[in-house]
Amino acid sequence: MATSSSSPPQLDTDVAAGRRGIPAASFVKDVQAYLNQLGLDVNSALAFLQERLQQYKVVEMKLLAQQRDLQAKIPDIEKCLDVVATLQAKKESDEALLTDFEVSEGIYARARIENTDSVCLWLGANVMLEYSCEEANTLLQNNLENAKASLEVLVADLQFLRDQVTITQVTIARVYNWDVHQRRVKQTFPSQDLSI
Amino acid sequence: MASRGSMIPELEKMSAEQLKSIKEQTDLEVNLLQDSLNNIRTATNRLDLASTALHDLSLRPQGKKMLVPLTASLYVPGTLDDSEKVLVDVGTGYFIEKTMGEAKNYCERKINLLKSNYDQLLEVTSKKKNIADEAGVVLQAKMKQLAGAS
Repeated sequence: MATSSSSPPQLDTDVAAGRRGIPAASFVKDVQAYLNQLGLDVNSALAFLQERLQQYKVVEMKLLAQQRDLQAKIPDIEKCLDVVATLQAKKESDEALLTDFEVSEGIYARARIENTDSVCLWLGANVMLEYSCEEANTLLQNNLENAKASLEVLVADLQFLRDQVTITQVTIARVYNWDVHQRRVKQTFPSQDLSI
Repeated sequence: MASRGSMIPELEKMSAEQLKSIKEQTDLEVNLLQDSLNNIRTATNRLDLASTALHDLSLRPQGKKMLVPLTASLYVPGTLDDSEKVLVDVGTGYFIEKTMGEAKNYCERKINLLKSNYDQLLEVTSKKKNIADEAGVVLQAKMKQLAGAS
């Protein structure tokens, strides 16, 4: 899940363009022109915009969940790095290390660690690999950087998404108001043809 | 439950607004109590796990080779040192060193205490829920009356 690729920031002028799979919402200057361009009547346009809003909400939930996961992972990786550094420091003193480890939540037991050069890292998906201290350090540093970069990209994505949500909500309001306005005018002047 | 039988006439004497506020209040209380019940259940599960783990630990000989977890994803090869002494977390940042037997005893006593709390709380919750339900029923009857009269 730690990808460090990010698409360059896109301008919101093109409707089809988006950011990492999020369709951009273009700001509507003239409601009539917008409806003509879409070729839809008011109700279908409103339905389409509402659907877009729902999609945005779904994507927002997903991104928020990913952000929470990353925010939990980063302190863990930092702790692991600290521990590896301590182990490396202890290597000089050449004595066994007595530690209390967690047997279960609330229960800790004592264990003795002889001086060893290798540590085992849990990589997830039922996979654990043994590394030398230096390799472990490199791997953990890489993971930490990837996680931090992904987090930044995620935050930028969320920002972009919020903007699109606002634009879509404004568009919905304007289309609806325009429709109300049209109906009122049609009521007062039933004979006039209003296809300007 | 003689008190329950005499509750309904009292509820009927009150006006619709009072009934509504009583129902809302009792609903809130029931929710809070349910949350507490859930918390107690979670804590009891944790203690069960801890007690099983302790039992498992007691079966391991001292000096047995093992992978020591130093963080959630970092393990170091080492040996088990004296499983007879364990540290028990008693809350508010205090850890007490106990022997295996004492620790098992502590876990069992804690589990029993939590279980009795849970049972007491369950009783109170069901009583409150009954009151809330009755208030709801009487409220609905009153609303129908008012709707029929007007």
